[in-house]
Parts: sequence; C-alpha cells; structure tokens
Amino acid sequence: MNGRERINAVLEGRKADRLPCMPITMTFATDILGVKYLDYVRDHRVMAEAQIKTAQTFGFDYVSTISDPTREAADLGANIQWYDDRPPAILEDVALFADKAVLARTKVPDASTSGRMEDRVRGIELLHNRVGKELFVEGWVEGPCAEAADLRGINRLMMDFSDDPEFVDDLFDFTLALGIRFAKEQIEAGADIIGIGDAAASLVGPRIYKEFVWPWQKRLVDSIHTNGGRVRLHICGNTRRILDGMGTLGCEMVDIDYPVPMNQARAQTGPRQTLAGNLDPVRDLRDGTPDKIAQSLEALQEQVGPQWIVAAGCELVRDTPHRNVHAMVNYALTHPANGIE
Amino acid sequence: MAQSRQLYDAILNGNAKQAHAATLAAIETGTTPMTLIADSMVPAMDEVGRLFEEEEYFVPELLLAGRAMKTAMELLRPLMTASGEKLPVRVVIGTVKGDLHDIGKNIVASMLEGSGFEVIDLGADVAPEKFVTAVVELAPQFVCMSALLTVTMPSMKTTIEALSSAGLRTKVKVLIGGAPVTMAYAHEIGADGYSENASGAVGLVRSFLAEA
Repeated sequence: MNGRERINAVLEGRKADRLPCMPITMTFATDILGVKYLDYVRDHRVMAEAQIKTAQTFGFDYVSTISDPTREAADLGANIQWYDDRPPAILEDVALFADKAVLARTKVPDASTSGRMEDRVRGIELLHNRVGKELFVEGWVEGPCAEAADLRGINRLMMDFSDDPEFVDDLFDFTLALGIRFAKEQIEAGADIIGIGDAAASLVGPRIYKEFVWPWQKRLVDSIHTNGGRVRLHICGNTRRILDGMGTLGCEMVDIDYPVPMNQARAQTGPRQTLAGNLDPVRDLRDGTPDKIAQSLEALQEQVGPQWIVAAGCELVRDTPHRNVHAMVNYALTHPANGIE
Repeated sequence: MAQSRQLYDAILNGNAKQAHAATLAAIETGTTPMTLIADSMVPAMDEVGRLFEEEEYFVPELLLAGRAMKTAMELLRPLMTASGEKLPVRVVIGTVKGDLHDIGKNIVASMLEGSGFEVIDLGADVAPEKFVTAVVELAPQFVCMSALLTVTMPSMKTTIEALSSAGLRTKVKVLIGGAPVTMAYAHEIGADGYSENASGAVGLVRSFLAEA
C-alpha cells in the first residue's frame, strides 16, 4: 500500500498493511528544506517542496498545506505581524472586528481571487499533481471559533460569550461561511482531507462548546462532506471535557493533543472514531529518546486500539532530533493496523 | 462583611457591574482597601483558581472574574495612593520578544493581581531590555515571563542574561511558563521557578515570599 491507500483504509475502518503516520509539520518542514518560514507561508511552491521533502525523508503518509492561522484573516484585511522564522501572528489590539460594527459590512472573500487563501489552493493543486497518487493531500481551514478569535481578538471573544451572545452567533455565522467556501475550493483543487484547526475551542469549556462552538463545527463538517471532502479535526490543548462532542461531529479523524489521556479519548469518542496522536511534541519527541518514544507509542496503541494514526499531539517543534522522528515513523512501519470492519 | 461577600460573589460570578457596586458600597461603609482585598478579592480569586484547576471554570470565566476584580481595583487604587498604602509585592509580567500570544499571560496576571500583588503587565513581544528597564524603574520582587513558541523561548534566557549583565539578577526572582516551557528548561537557563498554570504561578510567588 502507498500512503494514500493506507490512510484511506484506516479511515474506512479496513485493515491496512501497517499504521499510517501523519504528524503535523510546519517550522520543522522548513528546516528540512532549509528555507525561511516567511517564504513557506507566502509561496505555495516553497511549502509544497518542504512538505514533499519532509514526507519523503521520514516516510510520512501525507503532505499538508497547514501553515499558520492567518490566511483567511489576512485576506480580509486584518493586521498581521510577519516574521522570518515563525508563523505570522494576528495583532490583537487592532483586530479586524475589535469594533463589532465592522462585521456587518464585511463580506466573505472568494479564495480563488484572494491572496493567501488562493496560495493554499495553488499549493494543493501542486501537491495533488506531484504526489497525489502516493500520498494523502491535506488542506486546512481555521475552525469557526479559532477564526472568530483571529478576527475579534481572542481575549475579547472569550468575554463576548457572556457579554454579547447574539454578536457571537453573527460572528460564527461569518466564520462558518468563510470556512465552508475556503474548504470547498481546496476540495475542488484536489485535497483528500481538510484539517479544521480550532484551538480556541479547547479554552471555552463544555457549556460554551456545546452552545456556541459545536453547532458551527458540525455545519462546517457537514458542508465539507457534502462537497466530497473528509475532515481532520485538530483542537490543540486540553480537550478532555469536550471529547464527547468532538466524537459526534462525524469527522473522519480527530487529533488528540498530549494533555488528554488516549484511553479517555477512545472511551469518549467511541470505537469507530479514528484518532491521531498523541506524543508530546516537546517532552516526548524533542527531549525524548528513540527507545522511550517506541515505549510511549506502544502504550498509546494499547490504549487506543484500532482506528489509530501515529502522530504527535500537535506540531513537531523545529529542533526535534531527526532520530526521534524516525523512531516514531519506525513504530508505524512495524506495527499493524487491524481495522474495525 | 456583607459588602465583602457581595464583592466575593461578584468576582466569582464574573460580574463587573456588581463588583463596581459592591466596592463602592464597601468604601462608603468605611471598609479599607486592604481589608476588602484580603477579605473578598483574594479568597474569590483563590476560589476561581481552584475551580479552574478542577475544570469547572475555563478561560472565559477566568477572564470575566479578572475583569470584575480589576473593576474593583480601579476604585481602590486611588484610595490606596491617597493613604500611602501599597501592596507589599510587585510583579512585572510579559510575553517575551517575538511572541504575541498573551491569553495565558493575561490569566496569570489576573490571578496574581487577584492574590493581592501589584502587577505591572508589560504586554506581549517584550524585549529583554524592556524587562531590564522595568526592573530598574519599578524594583519588583518578581519577573514573570511567558512564551508559547519554542522559537521565542530563547528570549527568556537572553532576558535573564540581560538582568545579570545589569547587575539585577539577584534582585528579582524570575519565573517562567508557557506551553512549550518545561522545568528542565527553567533549570537550564537559571530561572528561579516554572509553573505549568496560573494557580501554580500564584503558589510559586507565595512560596518564595514565605521563604524570604
């Protein structure tokens, strides 16, 4: 099986020749290619080369167009801080919707004619053409809560849930529409799966997640399915209290970050949910040893059972020793994926 | 004590309007700022911290409680200045240079302020020189640094070195935190302490004060 076939098999609950391996890499990938992160985020050709070289160097089963949280916000005109060596960041003090009135007069941009969103779509086309027969190609969108935080400022949004819930509804309607359109364009460009990055959702707790976030995440997931795509849900951080909700969205795969015990993730999401993760990118992968990584993965497989994809809980950090990444992939290479069907 | 309870409840419930009203009412009955801080604010924020640890409260509740607490402090601060009262401990806090993530730092700052410490928040993207200037001008007992990216963590080491070069290292306790930060890193760069969460940061400051 090649990587694409392997991931398809596991996502469909079938047996695969071995475990798939889909760690998230961004800054790590730029170091493999030897390029500036600024070039990676601004030029899809650099991003594609870095992803391909990283996947081939280590034996990952996929390539991704994940890069940073600001593509959509940048195309809307948000104030962004650019760096040579790290992801661009939103300037929260002057967030686009710091003044709530701006939302009503803002339209959802078209990714086919916008700047940074179009760049990701071009990146997907390039990856699909270059490696799409062998490797899964992953698109990416900001989730409704994360995008709302990007546009409103995360500190403001966290208090808006209480101060102005009607505004939050309108804001999430906007970020949902944005995500739906951007995801559709990536699927049409050849993305096999769309990652939904919704880190802010791990901060709000189960009550606000259930009332404000889950309904909009569900609509985004359903829309991606309607448009022929699959979904990788990625909520960074401690999601222990919202696992049950995450497991009912219908995502083909759900990433579990390192603070969450994997046996709890399995218990809460059910036996059929494909889970990915959850080595600690710093304490396990950067600071650990190959032997300890293998032991950790063995323990994780014991907890998670079938329907598992090997990955770290979040992005590989840039100075992760290569031998440790090889150790992670080696575990996937040498262990079966038994399937649930 | 009734006013103290009202302020306590207002902070716990994240109600800034009620915190304002309760503080005004307490001031009118002659309750001193330090009494109100000790009897209402600190216990309320301690309870907020406990509820956060227990995963009953989350970031929204913490920020709302912090806002309610700050509303009270805005009324109390001028009174303290007028009477010459000072909070006994001063903390300077910031997210390090090149890092714009601040929500974790904001929560720690709120919890420290709610614990009765004077907190000067330098914001995000704070250069080592700015931390040094703050120590020179404000003479805090503690410097707290936050980083959310491994590429910005080295600025914690640079800041500690800058404090040493300025002859200030022994004047402050340096505490660090943030998702990629570890106890091992704290030891490596010569920080005095590390905490993985806001309540831990408050605990660290209190334990250092108890030792002094």
